[in-house]
Amino acid sequence: MPINLRTPVVESREQRLGTVIGWEGRASDLAAESCYARGGGCGSKARRVCELQSPFTQGSVCSEQMVECQAGNVRDAVLIQHSPIGCGAGQVVFNSIYRNGLAMRGLPVQSLHLISTNLAEKDMVFGGAAKLERTIRDAWERHHPKAIFIANSCSTAIIGDDIDGVASALEAEIGVPVIPLHCEGFKSKHWSTGFDATQHGILRQIVRKNPPKKQEDLVNVINLWGGDVFTPMLAELGLRVNYVVDLATVDELAQLSEAAATVTFCYTLGSYLSAALEQEFGVPEIKAPLPYGFAGTDAWLRAIAKQTNREEKAEAYISRERARIQPRLAELRKLLKGKKGYVSTGSAYAHGLIGILRELGVEVEGSLVFHHDPVYDSQDPRQDTLSHMLDTYGDVPQFTVGNRQQYQFYALLQKIKPDFIIIRHNGLAPLAARLGIPAIPLGDEHHVVGYQGIVNLGESILDVLAHSKFHQDLAAHTRLPYRKWWLEQTDPFVLAKEKQAAQAARRKPTPLSSSVRRVTAK
Amino acid sequence: MTAHEPKLAAAAPPPLAAKTHSIEQIRYGCAIGAMQSVAAIPRAVPVNHCGPGCSDKQFMNLAFYNGFQGGGYGGGAVAPSTNASEREVVFGGADRLTELIDATLKVLDADLFVVLTGCIPDLVGDDVAAAVKPFQQQGAPVVFAETGGFHGNNFTGHERVTRAIIDQLVGEYDGKRVKGSVNVWSLLPYHNTFWRGDLAELKRVLTGIGLKVNILFGPESAGVSEWKAIPSAQFNLVIGPWLGLETARHLEAKYGQPFLHTPGLPIGSGETNAFLRRVASFAGLDKGKAKQKLDAFIADEETRYYKYIEDFTDFYSEYWWGLPARFAVIGDSAYALGLTRFLVNQLGLIPARVIVTENPPEEARDLIRDQFHAIAHDVSVDVGFEEDSYTIHQLLRATDFGHKPPILFGTTWERDLAKELKGAVVEVGFPASYEVVLNRSYIGYRGALTLLEKIYTTAVSASA
Repeated sequence: MPINLRTPVVESREQRLGTVIGWEGRASDLAAESCYARGGGCGSKARRVCELQSPFTQGSVCSEQMVECQAGNVRDAVLIQHSPIGCGAGQVVFNSIYRNGLAMRGLPVQSLHLISTNLAEKDMVFGGAAKLERTIRDAWERHHPKAIFIANSCSTAIIGDDIDGVASALEAEIGVPVIPLHCEGFKSKHWSTGFDATQHGILRQIVRKNPPKKQEDLVNVINLWGGDVFTPMLAELGLRVNYVVDLATVDELAQLSEAAATVTFCYTLGSYLSAALEQEFGVPEIKAPLPYGFAGTDAWLRAIAKQTNREEKAEAYISRERARIQPRLAELRKLLKGKKGYVSTGSAYAHGLIGILRELGVEVEGSLVFHHDPVYDSQDPRQDTLSHMLDTYGDVPQFTVGNRQQYQFYALLQKIKPDFIIIRHNGLAPLAARLGIPAIPLGDEHHVVGYQGIVNLGESILDVLAHSKFHQDLAAHTRLPYRKWWLEQTDPFVLAKEKQAAQAARRKPTPLSSSVRRVTAK
Repeated sequence: MTAHEPKLAAAAPPPLAAKTHSIEQIRYGCAIGAMQSVAAIPRAVPVNHCGPGCSDKQFMNLAFYNGFQGGGYGGGAVAPSTNASEREVVFGGADRLTELIDATLKVLDADLFVVLTGCIPDLVGDDVAAAVKPFQQQGAPVVFAETGGFHGNNFTGHERVTRAIIDQLVGEYDGKRVKGSVNVWSLLPYHNTFWRGDLAELKRVLTGIGLKVNILFGPESAGVSEWKAIPSAQFNLVIGPWLGLETARHLEAKYGQPFLHTPGLPIGSGETNAFLRRVASFAGLDKGKAKQKLDAFIADEETRYYKYIEDFTDFYSEYWWGLPARFAVIGDSAYALGLTRFLVNQLGLIPARVIVTENPPEEARDLIRDQFHAIAHDVSVDVGFEEDSYTIHQLLRATDFGHKPPILFGTTWERDLAKELKGAVVEVGFPASYEVVLNRSYIGYRGALTLLEKIYTTAVSASA
């Protein structure tokens, strides 16, 4: 079975999909190496893409942070962070995002309820299980949540606290799901494993098994905190939306198994949950490119319509929307002619954004994605967003995979010299700013969804181009923390390549690196 | 309030459910959060040997969603990290650290690199000293501190980082002392949302009375050269109830350097005058020409300060629509003490509850209690020590704020509670996610006026 829900520990992205965090070349070469829609016949599990590993690395992001922002943002649940206090620092950022997300969605604004077990030195020696038990009781007595999630941490994983045992004992005692999530940061090189860890726990302990009823007009939408764009869109087809995981209630998570279909705004986020819902609960996932740009949105809507028998409604909506946005789109194309954009976001989302930029007539010569999944869990080539981008919009000559390494971003921007960048994660825009390049921080990830999303992005580009004055002034008055030698390098992976060459010289090449493995078809 | 009124005492906290270790809605980071203390030193860079998320968690929360201060020259997303993986857990990560330091020296342009460890190397037992040593022997400015999260919070980490730089970079000293030169140990950079402006004000007023000030952190510091000058200073000055005391005692033992401890953060003219006179006396700047300079500086600052206070008085005495009378402070001991004194003694407000949240060491707590017992001759506060926001909010709900809407001096976590209590909140500490802070200060002469603006802008914003 591709997805294994029998064990409490989620299989990491690199094990399931062959995820890499360091690569550069043409987008078309990455698609070929990925062996997904292009160059098939590579088996039914993780693929092998050659990965560049640099000796210099800057702080990344961990899986536990993604659990904070997923499980920690379920409205009537509590997330316990079983760790020393430092892991709990993330509560501040995700509180701000949670509150703004609630406001955007028109839900009552509240602060999040995350509780740290606040482990100290002696707990590292004697174990933290007793404190975890006490904190679970605190969570219950304080809030009477509908579910309690537990995020494991690096330290508690190393000392071997039995969080599964504590969780099942307390679940029996208090009578609501107590869900251990194995998301310790060192277990996976990419934070997106944290999405999977949360979804794994929800699938095992919250989603209703053998639901007595099905809701034939309900569509699961796997997303983050974005504004409510999908409700009006799917209402055109007579469908209702079940948003998960962020901002959902535990009941909304339980009814995942009752829906007619599952879609997502990004396969990086939604791959695991949607594939598992189909495999274990028979809820079909929509196998189509993501709803970005004309071709993607057309195909996505048609796939949903086909699955739910609403094809006529979909066709009417598609032609109406296409016609509606044409006048402004024509103006935007004129205004943006000759502009150069650069996309730096999560992987599947970036493929969509590149498409929209090209619809708008913006030039895209390069892009940086924070990781690359050679395949998604469905293994279905219709979800190969990279190939969809290549087939519809052509190649991207400077395509880079890197897990938010600011030092590499310098050379990338120097090569392309874009007029603006599009970015979601923190840490890179400040460098671009110091080089005089403004960034669009896409706080609402739904801003660019569908036909209206094409226009929305065009308007945002116009706004941000005006910002350039600030950035150009800054560029004239700033000093970067990088050495001259580094700033002169044109290859952002030069250190990785030196390391590779040195390793090759020291020993005979081994067929597989330790962090990437290939599982052949059974 | 006059001396004839009975002594006012804020109520002792009501009894609560048994206190547990759980912390909901955190008010500090862990020891490796001191990466931002490194970033607070001009041209210094933290090198983090830790899991992939530790750097991001600490800087995004201490430096971004807390006043949106920015990561600094070498902190934030610039900071190198080993991003330790399963391999470093199973086989140890010392080799990986060596590789990272080596590459860091090639890529980053800095005067000082501080290696900070996280939980992973501290648990698996990496020999970090041995990994760092060859670089030190080659003369590279690299030091290290053990800051795994289970050792304590970012206050603990800050003292460890400070100690590491003193012992491993500054080193032994048997040269002369420069009379009139002082090292200042005060607020925790980044954690204290207003530290940049506050340290600038401290440096300004201390310079004003004739001292040469090593402020050590922030835009007003000269960076590593200033740190190297630490042993030549005449004395150390610790401003705040406890943070920096350990460092001052260490410097006393190491260099025979005396220190002055002033527990209260000076806010307003009265407090700042007294503070400066005490420092001047300790430094020997209270005689002859030095005294003239001291007196002139204080007189000048005081005159200017009271011009503004006089103008403010029209508003303060005539505003119709209600100003708060009772307040609560929820924050670090340094700010909590400074604020409480100012609010009571300058504005005549009534303390309803004060809760200190940074988990000060046990040995510092009696001094903190004593300081709060002596806010004024007629005002005494029983200060609470609590770190868990759920408990803190229960305490505040049970507090008698009298007949008027209360004003809470706290953090973002008090935002909804203030609405619930139909009062106002002024975010004065971590986390302050609804403040954008550049060089704003709330202390000294100038900062106190800014604080007044903030308090009463908040109050009048609630008017129709």
